[in-house]
Amino acid sequence: MVKKINGQEFAAEAMKAPVAVVDFNATWCGPCRMLAPVLEDISEKYEGKVSFFSVDVDEAPGLAMQYRVNSVPCLVLLKNGEFADQSVGFRPEPQLTAWIDSNLK
Amino acid sequence: MERYDIAIIGTGPAGVSAALTAKNRNKRILLLGSRQMSEKVEKAHEIRNYPGLPFVKGEELAAAFRDQLDRMEIEITEKRIGAVYAMGDYFALQAGEEMPEAKAVILATGVASAKTLPGEEALLGRGVSYCATCDAPLYRGRTAAVIGYSPREESEAAFLSEVCSRVMYFPMYPEGPVLPDKVEVIREKPAEILKTEDGPTVVTAAGKYPADGVFVLREAVAPAQLVPGLETDGAHVKVNRRMETNLPGVFACGDITGTPYQYVKAAGEGNVAAISAAAYLDRRENRKE
Repeated sequence: MVKKINGQEFAAEAMKAPVAVVDFNATWCGPCRMLAPVLEDISEKYEGKVSFFSVDVDEAPGLAMQYRVNSVPCLVLLKNGEFADQSVGFRPEPQLTAWIDSNLK
Repeated sequence: MERYDIAIIGTGPAGVSAALTAKNRNKRILLLGSRQMSEKVEKAHEIRNYPGLPFVKGEELAAAFRDQLDRMEIEITEKRIGAVYAMGDYFALQAGEEMPEAKAVILATGVASAKTLPGEEALLGRGVSYCATCDAPLYRGRTAAVIGYSPREESEAAFLSEVCSRVMYFPMYPEGPVLPDKVEVIREKPAEILKTEDGPTVVTAAGKYPADGVFVLREAVAPAQLVPGLETDGAHVKVNRRMETNLPGVFACGDITGTPYQYVKAAGEGNVAAISAAAYLDRRENRKE
């Protein structure tokens, strides 16, 4: 499951997870809408290993700025609350899982 | 929504040939392109090496394509495709407000002649954007530089000027531009986009223009931008002899796969791509049973 969170929940949940993938997106962004179901699928595969969150950049502009989100969708991967990697734009599922796996090594 | 077997993008010799072959194999196809067929074909003075059609004029060849499609009852859907998304077991094609779906896709769009600027691809998504209406809200109250390759892009710059505190516009064409007063028009040719401490910076022979975001807007969509995740080699899509790309279910044919840019080669590749796509669909069906 990909959990929609706001700025406060980000600190309480995404920062606390051992590994978190945060999807920065916006309601007006077409590729974001296409990525959402793909990410939902991926989140099932990593249940118990990686936590998935979704942040609307218009609701949390400060967070978007802090993580230098210059284009949406943007996936930010956190390890124990620390920035580890980012992936910009829509990507097909096999490429995204390969990206997550490379960060789990 | 209706899901097609194969969506074919492009109506040059590659796309037409792919459509004829796919139709022959009883596939439900969506052919996207233009009733004008292909500008390159239309403008050809005379083609001397198209077997069976000696010394055919470009416009005659285009008319013959139209006639053959009509007789095979293949419709041309005149829509520009903005993006193709691999959704897992199908593809979603962004055609304006609509999102037709297909199980396989054949790319036959021809080759985009526009070269990218040095630094452009490396900074894509990290300060460089190809879509002002998509990413503008991220630059609210900040500075944007727009490199526009045709007057059509002026509306995007005007839109940005409503959101950004400052907009610089670099027209890459001689006429105009017609823009709100707030937009600064800079008649210098961008040579590269640099990442500096001040943000992404447009570099010209005369100066450096730092911004928070640089928007590069051109008519031709690069293949990797059209299909996110597609493996390319410069302006060309990487394919094997079966015209398969790195994405299962996506095939490419014609000029987009590389030189020689020949009509006959394009038609031949379209045929191969359609046969491969049909085989891909049949394999998929068999797996399900």
